[in-house]
Amino acid sequence: MKFAIAVFSPAHAPSSRRALRFAEAVLAGGHEIARLFFYQDGVHSASANIITPQDELDVAAQWRAFVSDHRLDAVVCIAAALRRGVLDDTEANRYQRPAVNLPMPWELSGLGQLHEAAQLADRLVCFGGD
Amino acid sequence: MAKSLLIISRQAPWSGPSAREALDIALAGGAFDLPLGMLFLDDGVFQLAAAQQPDALQQKNLTANLQALPMFGVEELFACGHSLARRGLDGDALALPVEVLDDSALAALIARFDQVVTL
Amino acid sequence: MTTLHVIAHSPFGDERLASCLRLLGPQDALLLCGDATYALKAGSEPFAALQAANLGERLFALAEDLQARALDNPLAKAVDYAAFVELSLRHDKVNSWL
Repeated sequence: MKFAIAVFSPAHAPSSRRALRFAEAVLAGGHEIARLFFYQDGVHSASANIITPQDELDVAAQWRAFVSDHRLDAVVCIAAALRRGVLDDTEANRYQRPAVNLPMPWELSGLGQLHEAAQLADRLVCFGGD
Repeated sequence: MAKSLLIISRQAPWSGPSAREALDIALAGGAFDLPLGMLFLDDGVFQLAAAQQPDALQQKNLTANLQALPMFGVEELFACGHSLARRGLDGDALALPVEVLDDSALAALIARFDQVVTL
Repeated sequence: MTTLHVIAHSPFGDERLASCLRLLGPQDALLLCGDATYALKAGSEPFAALQAANLGERLFALAEDLQARALDNPLAKAVDYAAFVELSLRHDKVNSWL
């Protein structure tokens, strides 16, 4: 079965970690992830600039590794990202901002991608709110 | 056949970007002609109050954008009767033409959509 | 169609659980995770509300959250992530109360 998973919270939120554990269980169960879509504060879960103390879980790094290892389609909503200062190269240049904090493998795109994923997938599961 | 999506908006209009970001999901879906519905629940019903003045908070006019929903093909608009009553809002005096539903009608509403997103 | 509702917020001073219980369909299920598992604290008002709702086999809780909080829970079925995935497929859709 195909899952679309949407994340609405930043890396330090319990729901971001929960979303990641759920996503892992989806693949472990032999299912597919059609797309990961990061919206609202979920854009921060994709940030490359998060520094966690050595004795704490680095959820942002785990998300990056998960997306890369499984070659997943991982989209960050551009409108939500801009508003929250999460920028890739192109946007940082466009708006002349000093820092790029959205690395590969993330891709900035619009809400249409969330809708497309919801149409393609058998289930849309959202995590966030904290 | 396109899957239908119900967007449930639970946050008050000026409590942060949630109300607007829920609306953006609806407008994006409407632009793709997807079958959508929008339900205002809990503090979300405060988005429907008339005569709000967002300028006072230096905010954009959410009401005007909500009123644009039918133009984007999102005509199924609902509000929770219990939430309205609890907050002293009159279902007949709202800024948006919504269908006010009681709890069992709301359960039936959620049941008939293929997917739900609650913000 | 049936829905798996997912709540992750503490029920104390928050409306999500109360609203969800009012809208829950007769074949819907409820999964409590994160701080929502505090609703399973015996002797609390939310616990009484869950008992009154009489969800039986339709009430679930994420095991890791019960364990972390040392919640001794007689009401909900504790599930791991594999079971969470399975639950999401057993119902027609998932509604997370963000």
